[in-house]
Amino acid sequence: MPREQNIRLNVNGRVYERTVPVRLSLADFLRDHLHLTGTHLGCEHGVCGACTISMNGRSARSCLTLAVQADGAEIVTIEGLRAADGSRHPLQQAFLENFGLQCGYCTPGMLITAIELLRENPQPSEQDVREALSGNICRCTGYQAIVDSVLAVARDTQGSKKREIV
Amino acid sequence: MSDARFVNQKAVGSPVLPDEAIPLVEGDGRFLNDIRLPGMYHVAFLRSQHAHALIRSVDTAKARELTGVVMVLTGKELLGKVEPFRSMPNRFSGGESVQHWLAFDKVRFCGEAVCAVVAEDRATAEDAAELIEVDYEPLPVVTDPRLGGQDGAALVHDTCPNNYLIKREYERGNVDEAFRNAHLVVKRKFKIGRKQALCLESRGCVAGYRESTFGLTMWISHQLPYVVRHYLANHLHLPENDIRVVVPHTGGGFGQKASIYPEEFVCAYLALNLRRAVKWVEDRLENMVASTHARDQSIEVAVAVDRDGRILALSSDVCVDVGAYSTYLWSAGMEPLQTAGLMPGPYKVPAMRYRTCGVATNKTPVGPYRAVGRPSASASLELLLDEVARRLDLDPVELRARNLIPIEAMPYRNANNLVHDNVNYLPCLKLAATKAQYDRLRAEQRERGANGKLRGIGIACYAELTGLGTSTAVGPGTLLQPGRDAVTLRLETTGVLSIAAALPSQGQRIMTAMRQVACDELGIALDDITCVNNDTAMAPYGFGTFASRTAVFGSGAVIQAAKELRRRMLALGAHLLNVPVGELTIVNSVLQTIDRAKTLPIREMAEKSYFSAKNIPPELNPGFEVTSFYDPKFGSFAGGTHIAVVDVDAHTGEVSIVRYVAAEDVGTIINPAVVEGQIIGGIAQGIGEALLEELVYDETGQPRTVTLADYLVPSALEVPRIELHHANTSSAALGGFKGCGEGSIIGALGAVACAVADALSRRGGDIHDFPATPERVLKGLGVLPSDA
Ligand code: FES
Ligand code: FES
Repeated sequence: MPREQNIRLNVNGRVYERTVPVRLSLADFLRDHLHLTGTHLGCEHGVCGACTISMNGRSARSCLTLAVQADGAEIVTIEGLRAADGSRHPLQQAFLENFGLQCGYCTPGMLITAIELLRENPQPSEQDVREALSGNICRCTGYQAIVDSVLAVARDTQGSKKREIV
Repeated sequence: MSDARFVNQKAVGSPVLPDEAIPLVEGDGRFLNDIRLPGMYHVAFLRSQHAHALIRSVDTAKARELTGVVMVLTGKELLGKVEPFRSMPNRFSGGESVQHWLAFDKVRFCGEAVCAVVAEDRATAEDAAELIEVDYEPLPVVTDPRLGGQDGAALVHDTCPNNYLIKREYERGNVDEAFRNAHLVVKRKFKIGRKQALCLESRGCVAGYRESTFGLTMWISHQLPYVVRHYLANHLHLPENDIRVVVPHTGGGFGQKASIYPEEFVCAYLALNLRRAVKWVEDRLENMVASTHARDQSIEVAVAVDRDGRILALSSDVCVDVGAYSTYLWSAGMEPLQTAGLMPGPYKVPAMRYRTCGVATNKTPVGPYRAVGRPSASASLELLLDEVARRLDLDPVELRARNLIPIEAMPYRNANNLVHDNVNYLPCLKLAATKAQYDRLRAEQRERGANGKLRGIGIACYAELTGLGTSTAVGPGTLLQPGRDAVTLRLETTGVLSIAAALPSQGQRIMTAMRQVACDELGIALDDITCVNNDTAMAPYGFGTFASRTAVFGSGAVIQAAKELRRRMLALGAHLLNVPVGELTIVNSVLQTIDRAKTLPIREMAEKSYFSAKNIPPELNPGFEVTSFYDPKFGSFAGGTHIAVVDVDAHTGEVSIVRYVAAEDVGTIINPAVVEGQIIGGIAQGIGEALLEELVYDETGQPRTVTLADYLVPSALEVPRIELHHANTSSAALGGFKGCGEGSIIGALGAVACAVADALSRRGGDIHDFPATPERVLKGLGVLPSDA
């Protein structure tokens, strides 16, 4: 097996081409090679969810994904959530207004996971939200404010035109 | 943005949105691992795989030969160059422990650092660490503190007879007489497993060489930047003013990042010696064994009560497995001394006696973790009170009401010598019971019981001493008596205000709290106030964040400094506007006469004072920078009552929390949304303590829980919606504030533990070991055979 491989992928709307070691994780690629440090590592074991990113529209654990597996993929990280005019994504705004974060270390993974939920189920119940987030550990908030942030966006988008999420 | 959320025109008391959280929601947080300096090297540690062994030899030759390796450092090479960590003198010390930064003659726990490898990247450093050959001679292992304390047991430290790092006996009041004359005496055992703070971001540092004007700059994920600086200076023999410590965004602390550890100090040494920046970030596997553990206690407690259930005396025996070393700074006394000493909690205890010990074992050292000692102290007593209630056929709420210290009796000095000054224990109990519709809960419990379902209700009342000033030691028996912290307020040339402090926040929104307080005190608009925090090069002295103190200290210091700054602003304003000082006030960043006839924006005043000083009498222009140290002298008790309702599945042993109500007295609230977040977050951790979390070692001292897949913390599914209510009083501290960071974890362990025990008691079962895992629940029900 070659030790390095060429990959080309789209991250947050920009195309990158890089030669990367085959053993490099997608998380390390994003953080160390593209300097997108918004994606966090909490366990590097696939358990905590802090490293969750969106890959071809599905949430994925970037610590368990190899950079070479993302060849040709479309990736969205927390840095890619803001609108073109720089305004915050409605869920980012909701996290801020509902105090949905304390230390903020879990936040990137929470945002990506919850956005995927809201796209698939725009009107989730509290239980739906809790289940969707159950693979993301937050050690600070006790989850309540996070759940409320997600429910607030669901409420806001009810009836009104849903903003295209990721 | 913020002003729209003001309640009664005041910033304090309003859920002001925290500007400091904006970078974090936008993905621009700067955590330790996000820092990279040009040419920076990376460090990995070789760690002991043995719990207890002599090191016969260390061969680093192969590791050094690997391409990309810069240096391999062994413990021997550090000898004589740096000061090892000697256990802090403690009045109750049994023996001494000395922890070398890198073990050189002996390893005492699995995970202890033996060598440091420096390489061009982390992967290479890790590869090289695997090439180091260490010849170990295994020694007998101490894993059970009860056995470890017996004569003839193997010794973890030769300097520590019977492995007792801490030992204390205490008695106050006539305990024997109370037990003799008691109407009823009840005894009970309680065990709580080993815990991990489990910050989602583990520890780490970047040690920079000759950055800016400093010889050594440490970016470190830590709660106490100035304390780190002090000890770096002492242990590396450096001038303190040549060291800068900066704390970046921090992904959780909870006490785990309040101790001094070897790894960061090794990195400082390496940076100075290699004349190059180095970085070390703890991975999760390391974190599970190299960062302090917590709890791990066996408690026996007995209570003597009169016929009405009033406590006459309390007697306890506490044994804590404190691990291999006396945690540096805090000593091994944290858990043993606080658990036993704080056992009375919010209850009137006229006489008490305890024996407590911290026994060294071949495990990771035990250090501070949220609410040190109190959760198990409280849970063991609450479980005991439930048993008293059952025996006397009293309702548990009524029994507690009879024993809580009433506010009319305060100040009340309890048998543990602590004074309860102003706290609403009883109103919190009543409020929680009312909001939970307690009588209905009991009726539902009976109904479910009739249908063969197990439901339990747990009530826990807790007390939490917060915001400790200089007259109360945070670490009992130690020399450490933090109790004075400073802030600097500086009016900048454009009229905006900067608050500088060294009070790190791991999400407690300290900066927002201080801005809110300053806004009210000075009349400067919230949006004109920012906070620089956590940098010893910019902030005045402070001990940092721990022990539910930061909001109390930061706010108190802001109030004090603001008084002087306001005086100066009004004096100069009066001069510039040519009006008497008494007629001036400051509203929304504008100096104005009470009739608003004359106004002067602070911005103009500031510009004039800095840029047109020649027209101002010097005595009116002393500079607009004020530093003030605040010492609240005493601490203030916060308290509350938690009620948990659980359902227990008698077939699987699974426990689920179906309702959770909490009523708290946390003093005057600065930001209600932040306070709620602290309380709910603490409850979630308490639920984890009660039901899920446990670090397990086998009898050879090998850790069995080294990933997040083994050490279970609560997810969004295990934490129910928390119903939160307040019955606040003001403390004697400036602003009337109390701390709220830790209390709720105390109530949560007690309430959930009592609820589980209550459920099991419906079938004649009981439970003494926590967390209440399904297996233990089934044992408690007699479905599985018990260990005893
Ligand atoms: S870092 Fe990927 S799941 Fe924890
Ligand atoms: S906010 Fe700290 S881990 Fe979630």
